[in-house]
Amino acid sequence: MKKIEAIIKPFKLEEVKDGLSRMGVKGMTVTEVKGFGRQRGHKEVYRGAEYQVDFVPKVKIEVILDSKLVPQAIALIQEKARTGKIGDGKIFVIPVEEVVRIRTGETGKEAI
Amino acid sequence: MEYSAAQLKTSRQQLITLFTDGLNTKSFPEENTALIDQYFQDSLPESHVGRTLLQQGIPFAFIALGGYGRRELCLHSDIDTLLLFGKKVPSQAKTLVQEILFPLWDLGLDLGYGTRTIKDCLRIAKIDFEVLTSLLDARFIGGEYPLYLDLIEKLYKKVVTKKARDLHRWLAEQDKKRLETFGDSSYLLEPNLKEGIGGLRDYHHMLWLAKASFGPRETHEQAFRARLSYQEYQDLRQHVSFLLNIRNHLHLRSLRKNDRLTFEDQEEIANRLGLRDKKTSLAAEQFNELVHATMAALKSLSRSFIGGLFATKKKRSKIRQMPLVPRGLVVDGGELCFDTVRTIIKNPSLLMIIFEHGALLGYALSLEARRIIREFLYLVDDSFRRSKTIINSFIKIVTQSNCAFETLSQMMEIGFLDSFIPEFGRIHNRVEFDAYHIYPVGIHSLQTIRYLKSLTEEKDILLRDLFVELQHPERLFLAGLFHDIGKIGSDHARRGTKITKNILKRFGLTDDAIEDICFLVRSHLLLAETATRRDLNDEKVIVQCARMIGSLERLKLLYLLTWADSRATGPKAWNDWIANLISELFFKVLHIMESKELATQDALSRVEHVKAEVHKKVGPIIERQDLENSFELMPPRYLLNTHPRKIVQHLGMAESLKAKKQANETKSGGHAGDEVFIFESREDKKGNCWEITIVAIDRPGLFANMAGVLALNAINILSADIYTWRDGTAVDVLRTTNPLDGLFVQEKWAKVKEDLKNVLAGRLSLESSVGNEETPRSPTGLKKLARKPTVIVDNESSDFFTIIEVYSHDHVVLLYRITHTLFDLGLDIHSARIAAAADQVVDVFYVRDLEGQKIEDVGRVKEIKRILLKQLKPL
Repeated sequence: MKKIEAIIKPFKLEEVKDGLSRMGVKGMTVTEVKGFGRQRGHKEVYRGAEYQVDFVPKVKIEVILDSKLVPQAIALIQEKARTGKIGDGKIFVIPVEEVVRIRTGETGKEAI
Repeated sequence: MEYSAAQLKTSRQQLITLFTDGLNTKSFPEENTALIDQYFQDSLPESHVGRTLLQQGIPFAFIALGGYGRRELCLHSDIDTLLLFGKKVPSQAKTLVQEILFPLWDLGLDLGYGTRTIKDCLRIAKIDFEVLTSLLDARFIGGEYPLYLDLIEKLYKKVVTKKARDLHRWLAEQDKKRLETFGDSSYLLEPNLKEGIGGLRDYHHMLWLAKASFGPRETHEQAFRARLSYQEYQDLRQHVSFLLNIRNHLHLRSLRKNDRLTFEDQEEIANRLGLRDKKTSLAAEQFNELVHATMAALKSLSRSFIGGLFATKKKRSKIRQMPLVPRGLVVDGGELCFDTVRTIIKNPSLLMIIFEHGALLGYALSLEARRIIREFLYLVDDSFRRSKTIINSFIKIVTQSNCAFETLSQMMEIGFLDSFIPEFGRIHNRVEFDAYHIYPVGIHSLQTIRYLKSLTEEKDILLRDLFVELQHPERLFLAGLFHDIGKIGSDHARRGTKITKNILKRFGLTDDAIEDICFLVRSHLLLAETATRRDLNDEKVIVQCARMIGSLERLKLLYLLTWADSRATGPKAWNDWIANLISELFFKVLHIMESKELATQDALSRVEHVKAEVHKKVGPIIERQDLENSFELMPPRYLLNTHPRKIVQHLGMAESLKAKKQANETKSGGHAGDEVFIFESREDKKGNCWEITIVAIDRPGLFANMAGVLALNAINILSADIYTWRDGTAVDVLRTTNPLDGLFVQEKWAKVKEDLKNVLAGRLSLESSVGNEETPRSPTGLKKLARKPTVIVDNESSDFFTIIEVYSHDHVVLLYRITHTLFDLGLDIHSARIAAAADQVVDVFYVRDLEGQKIEDVGRVKEIKRILLKQLKPL
């Protein structure tokens, strides 16, 4: 099992979400996040006053998947979240040791 | 005892069955109480200890406290009892408790009990008001009645009369705590039926204070009738009964004591109450409206009831008050009231004037005034609603008073707002059934105004500055009040625009004001939706947004309304994250508007004209929708600066390009050749020059290659417009001098085309082929004193591109050298305007780096300037 963490542009969320559910991904966690990578924040000036924007708003999605599905999911996120411009985001893949469904106590793939 | 307990168990089961069948919903709490009472009455005579105590002359009494005392037992309510003794608690008390009370525990009831003497009770009640209030609800169940009477008499004489004011204060503090912990349930979407503001607790507070100030009455009714009108008392009974009924459903559903009405509960209880989904609202939404209306009414009743009790009479300072209050109104203890009722009938506008003065002076209306307004609501008729002076008073309240929120809330509570603006009545208690909106529409609209009013003290200086700059802040407030008035179905912004227009016409506002406010209502979601759903790095998105908004003033209004509306919706609708996105959009739209290039009214009408012309020309060939899709691809500058005839030509060429690319793909087995292009040349006799058009798949260096091929063939570029459509189609239009060899022109263009093909396919290197000869680009041939070449890198004018302006004298390979250098520097030319006048060239390039980002790094900008200038040095 793997966890895919993807940081994407906010307006791409719907497309990525729809794509993943069509692929059969049953659940995901979505968080509104802020940060910066190569795309930095910037400064706005209005009537002499400065408004610093330090971080860029992004959306983080987290999905736990069977390892076999990972390449397909990565390809899909990459396709859907791409605009070709800076700030399209990153995808991380992390190994997951165990999953437990709290209600039933099921573990492993069953619990995803 | 066992028999009585078994009896209780069976009858309780029957009671629950009746309730689930919906047969005794109203009377359940009382019947449930009666069952427990019955148990005590049955089991007491059977009790051995009880009989012994009586024989020994030790009196005792079982007394119901709290909710049990009030006969309000829901299914899983706590049952609080007191075993009362006269002077001393005898040793047998414990056994008595075991005999009588333990079987109730065995039945699974939540029983609480205390064994105390009268003295104990009084002592604790004096210091612990929780105990005092539970004793105020005391009711005799069994044992010696005189003992009970003794307790009550002493309680009132020794505790209540002395502590009434303290109790009043304590309850007010409890209210504050409740508000902090449970929130105002008359607004919240998952209200707490008991402890939330507007919940059953409000009624309990009324009850306790009524008893504390009017003495021990046997029935609630008498206590209340002293301060409530008949109708108000009936309403109160109904609200309490409704809430108890829901609470009972909630207990039944959650199998335990529970007062918080969650979303899932709401859906099911709504169905149990017989509400069904309708076209305009879900059953759960209707249910929610009912609950909120009930809790708001209960809150209002209890506030006015309690507010009047123990009021400290302030001394009237007549001198200060006289000039402030108009005739027909009086100020009493910081509250406004009517002088006499008769004046209202003569002058109904007083109904509005009292609010107006309340708002201006910051005074609340007295309970009596509220009651009077409610009774005289029938005077708010069509002529009242159309009266100029009354409307002006209302607008003044909304736009000028700092207490607009408080005054409008009072208007809403009393029902006056719904009468004055009937359109408002339809949305007042309307609830969005989701986790996003935490307030019903009515209160949300007022909250929006509250946030707008706070703008003058807002910490965010941008918001404050924008607000201060507004030419017509009053339009913002009215838009805040009406922005959600269309929430009676889908597409509420559009629906609301129509409704708002009618209201404002009735109000007699100027056309200009009506247009602005209607615009705000119609577009109040535009910024939030664009910011979260569209690509803000796409210039076209911003330009379209700017065109829809139209003016700076409207942009500011809309930004402020978006802020207030989101804040008033709930914490999920507004946070730093969304704030960042919306302010980014705001600034980008602002910059587009300030640049006065793409989003002016003039630009808008020109683009519309161009689109219409193109449609006329290709109408029969291309479907309207396909054409619209193609327009979507074209950048704003292209649509603005290109003749419709040319656009038609380019559309045709783009079509051919697609076909050619597809053919290539099939030929080469899926591998697309990016080097395909469509080339057209035609003579412009009037201008004595040639116009060549190249449509190709954009890639870095494309334009440099073209310029190079033309230089190779000794053809001068006079001017050029290059654009990249959003699908990556490059459309380049170049005007050139006539080829030197006038006889074999077509052959010459064929060679140019062939050269370009070879260059793009990588078979011909321009680097080595293009000479460095300094042939003047303009045909005058005369070389004037060369102006020093200049390069300006402009990052201010556009949020999307770095603009590089090159001023230099002219020679034939110059353009190739500049564009090739830009390519070497890793810059992608998105669009460009090349113009040569006499021997002076001005080339403007809109560029981004290969990742689509502007070049803002200072070092990088310096480097670009340096290298370009080196290339521009006369050879």
